[in-house]
This record gives sequence, C-alpha cells and structure tokens, in this order.
Amino acid sequence: MKLLTKTNRLSFIWIIPVIIIGSIFCYYMIQYIVYEEADEYLKYEMNRIVAYHNEFEDLPDNHSVVAVIDDKKFDKPHFKDTLILETEDNEMVPYRELYFTIEHKGIHKTILLRHLLVGNDDIFEGTLWIILGLISLITIAFFLMTSYTSQKVWKPFYDTLHKIIHFKTNDPIPVFEKTTIDEFNSLNQTLENLLTKIQNDFQRTKEFNENASHELQTHLSVIRANAELLLHDVDFKNHVTIQKIHQTTLKLSKTQSSLLLLSKIGNQEFSNQDRVNFKESIESSLALFEELIDMREIHVSLSLKDCTTIMDSGLAEIMINNLVKNSVKHNIAKGFITISTNHDKICIENSGTYYTDTPDHLLERFKIGTEGNLGIGLSIVKQICDLYHFKISYRISENNIHQIEIIL
Amino acid sequence: MKILIIEDQIDLLHSIQDALSQENFNCETADTKKKAEYKIYTFEYDILIVDINLPDGSGLEIVKQMKRLNSRVGIMIISARNAIDQKIEGLELGADDYITKPFDMAELIARVKSLIRRRLFNGEETVNFGNITINTSKREVYVDEQLVELTKSEYQILLFFFSNPNRVISKETLAEHIWGDHMDISDSYDFIYSHMKNLRKKIVSKNVDDPIKVIYGIGYKFETNR
Repeated sequence: MKLLTKTNRLSFIWIIPVIIIGSIFCYYMIQYIVYEEADEYLKYEMNRIVAYHNEFEDLPDNHSVVAVIDDKKFDKPHFKDTLILETEDNEMVPYRELYFTIEHKGIHKTILLRHLLVGNDDIFEGTLWIILGLISLITIAFFLMTSYTSQKVWKPFYDTLHKIIHFKTNDPIPVFEKTTIDEFNSLNQTLENLLTKIQNDFQRTKEFNENASHELQTHLSVIRANAELLLHDVDFKNHVTIQKIHQTTLKLSKTQSSLLLLSKIGNQEFSNQDRVNFKESIESSLALFEELIDMREIHVSLSLKDCTTIMDSGLAEIMINNLVKNSVKHNIAKGFITISTNHDKICIENSGTYYTDTPDHLLERFKIGTEGNLGIGLSIVKQICDLYHFKISYRISENNIHQIEIIL
Repeated sequence: MKILIIEDQIDLLHSIQDALSQENFNCETADTKKKAEYKIYTFEYDILIVDINLPDGSGLEIVKQMKRLNSRVGIMIISARNAIDQKIEGLELGADDYITKPFDMAELIARVKSLIRRRLFNGEETVNFGNITINTSKREVYVDEQLVELTKSEYQILLFFFSNPNRVISKETLAEHIWGDHMDISDSYDFIYSHMKNLRKKIVSKNVDDPIKVIYGIGYKFETNR
C-alpha cells in the first residue's frame, strides 16, 4: 500500500467517530437553539402581555394568546411541549406552550401562549445536510492537502527511494536532494554512509578476489611448469606422483576460476546488455560437443524456435554451454537429448542415470557427483538464472529422464 | 626465430624460457614494462609473449607500441585474469592469441608454433615427422602419402603432438588443449582415450609404425627419430 493511501485510510478511520459525535452534537445543538428561541419569544410575549395588563388592566387583543383559563393558577411561568394535529397536513406538529397567571380584577387568570417548534425530523434532516456538506468539503480539502503535502514534504523521500531502488553496487553513490526536513537529511546521510561502506567493502572484496586469483593462478603456473619439467625428465622415477601434482593443480585452477566466475556473477560484474538468441547459442554449443555426442551415440532431437532476450552475451554462452555439457556428460551411451525452445522457454531433456535425492539439489553448489567432481556447472547456471530472474526447474521422471526447464 | 618473453614472475619466466629454448627458439626476457620497452625499441623480435599484469604498467601498452613499431610481429598475451573484456581489448589492439594462467608449457609451445605458422608463413606450411605430413593450411593429414580422414579433435591432437615432439603429454594437457574451459577435465579422460585409440588406429591402418607411445598412468608421447 502506498504511503499516501495508508495515511488517507488511517486519517479517515479517525474522521468516522468525529462525524458521529459531530452529528449528535449538531442535532442537539440545533434542538437546544430552537427551544431557546421559542422560550425566549414566549417570554417576551408574556412580558408584553403583563406590561399591557399592568398599564391598562386589560388583556391585549393579542393573537398569540391561545386561551385564557380561569380557575387555574401557576406560581411561576410554566413551559410545556405539546403536539397538535395540523388538519391541513393531517400531521402532528410540535408546539411550545407557556402557561402564566396574572391577577385580573382579583381573579387569577392563567394565560396560554403557544409557539411553533421545529420538528425533530426537520432537525435530523438539517443535521444530515450540514454533516454531508461538511464531509464533502473536508474530503476535498483533505485530498488536496495530502497530495500537496506529499508532493512538497515527501518529495525528497521519494527522490531518495527512487535513487536507492536503481542503485547498483558498481554505480557511483547517488547525490541525495538537500531538504529542510531533519529526518530526511539524517536518512540521506545514513544511507550515504551505508552505501559508501557497502561500495568500499564490495570494491575490497572484488580486489581481493582478483588479486587472490591472480596470485594463485601465477603460482599454480609455476607448479605446473615444474611438474611438467619433471614429467619429461627420463631419469626421474616418480612420474605418477608428479602426474598427480600436475593434475591437482589443474583441478585447483579450474575450481578457482569457476568460483571466481560465480562470485563475479553474484557481484553483477557482467552488465553488458546484448540481444541474445538462445536458438543460435544452442546450435553453436552443440557443435562444440558434436564429437562427444557422436562418440557416445547420443541421439539429439531439436525443436528450436527463436528465443531472444537482453542479457550479457558472455553469460548466455556460459549458461547454454553448461546446460548442453551437462546433458552430454550425464547421459548414457545410446541415450538421447531433446532440446526445445520457444519465445520464453528453454527445455533440455536427456536420458540419464538413477538419482535418488531431490533434483533441486543438483542446482546447488558443491553437490558431489558420482565421479567425485564438484557440481559447479549447474550452480553457475542457477546463479545466472537468478541474476536475470529466470525461473529454472530440474525434474527427473521415473524412467530416469532428466529435464531442465528455464522460463525467461 | 627470436622471441621476447615479458613476465614479472621470475620462476614462470624461466620456465617459459627453458621450454621455448628447448624447441630451439632464441629467447630473451624482460620482467618489467620498462625493460621490455627498452628491448623492443633496441632489438627486433618475431614473437612477443606478454603478461598483462606487470609491476610498472599494463602489458597492453607494450602491445600497442609494438604494433606501431613492427606490425608483422606475432603477439601472444598471457593473463591470470579470465576477464573477457581484457581478452577482447588485447585482441583488438593487435595481439594474435591469448592464453590464461595457469597453462602447460606444451600448450604454450603449440600456440607459439601455430602463431609462427600463421604470422610468418601465412599459414602455408606443411610439417612432417617420419611418414606423417600435416598441411596446416588445408588441415589435411597424409600418412605415407595417403590422405587420412581425421575428425576435428583427432586433427587437433595430432597437430599438438607435432608441436611437442618427444615430450610427455599428460591426458589433462590434451583435454585442456581440445576443450579448454568447456569440459571438466575428469570427465574428458574417456573421450581422450577414445580419440587417441581412433587416431592411432587410423595411422597404423596405413601400415606405418605407431609413433605415439602410451606412458602408463600419465599420458602419451609422440616419438620422432630426431
């Protein structure tokens, strides 16, 4: 959920009780005012009548006097609510009544004054309209306000976010927008420190990898050159021992360069954006292993359609070569390889040997194969797939058919 | 044939020098960029073997200068880094070949010889040992003057032996020569074995003595009576 949406939602939840309490308050307020006004009017009316009576000893010819009751006495003016049937509408209408007594020629006369009240249903209706109007106004104002604020206040935040999302470890550290908001400034400062740290660490690891690799390979060269020299020395007796040294240095340097490749892929050091057609990669890769395929009498069937994507062409080649190599290497004599591609899928199937473990383990690093070799080839494939968000799956069916599927 | 080897690792430099000298190449060495520059401006060389990472600069700069001085020279780059970019840059600057550390001397010798054939004989060369002749431009092999059909790998193996006569060639060296990075060495032994079996069968079928000797547990040796 977006920050703005979330803020709006949370704010609106708080507005609901405000509206409810506000409506109740508004209703009673209007009612109170209506009573107050009616009472006030009736009191003025009463005072006028009393004043007239005091002066003229007579009751005024006043239409507001509803009735004069003779044998009833109130010590002080008395207010009362009543409902009277309005014949025209055939509806009960609320009235406010005021009873008060004046002494006229020794006789107590109670006078009844009456004033029309605003009905509760009318008050309710009024409240509703007021609240509705207010809500719409508040909503419009709220949206204008939040979008304005978010544009103004949150702009540096979104700017930072945008820069962070698109940041890659190889890029220069982004320059964050200066703001007057302390929190954002300290966020940007912290991010800048972290990114510098990450980049330094990244650079150091990268340099270490490369230096270690460089040193290792150079010294391995010396070991190999000397082992080779001893192999040619006819007087030397332990040729098989030297052969083992020679073989091991070779394995070591291969493993090391594979591991370096894995870490380079992980570090996203391959960032060329090339247009790659896997159809062509597969065809050229098969040519590479052609003789091995013939030698093992493996039947290859292809159903290749154009399958293009944008990625580093070196990595694409490594990926396809490793896949094809895997299908040749772990095949059986007179077995088969079926490769099919379409616009977003590569599927390689091959006959193979029995495998009990979960096939997904074959994509993991350092899975020891039956010949004791490190299963690093497929983990490189997996790493490349992960880098480009391709979906890779490994299945083995009951009759030992191995299938690797990559969905672009 | 005069070769200048530029490599800062002294042990490796000596190994390369010894291996190439054994093949009757006239080798000179330089272990810094400065010394190498002095030599290329002072003497003439046919082949330059350059390590990219030198203590006082990049070997690629030497490649650039050398190409300006003498464009006919054959240049081979050595690098410990498997970086594709560097390889491309090196080849674009005019280098002819690129070899990654660690490598076998037999591989280096084969590459140097192939470079000499391409650069200095324009690929027009036939090499022969005993009854076997290879025409490297047509990629044809004649045994006792009869044409023998070889597969791509068999041809590569035979040419490799021709470049390294009388040297013990281990299975690993052969496997790496043919497949390079594309094959795990331990998996390729049986393929090497099959290739060797077929190659020897094809040569022997022309009623010629098998020049390839099996060195038990190690590899093979191409024997010539020199």
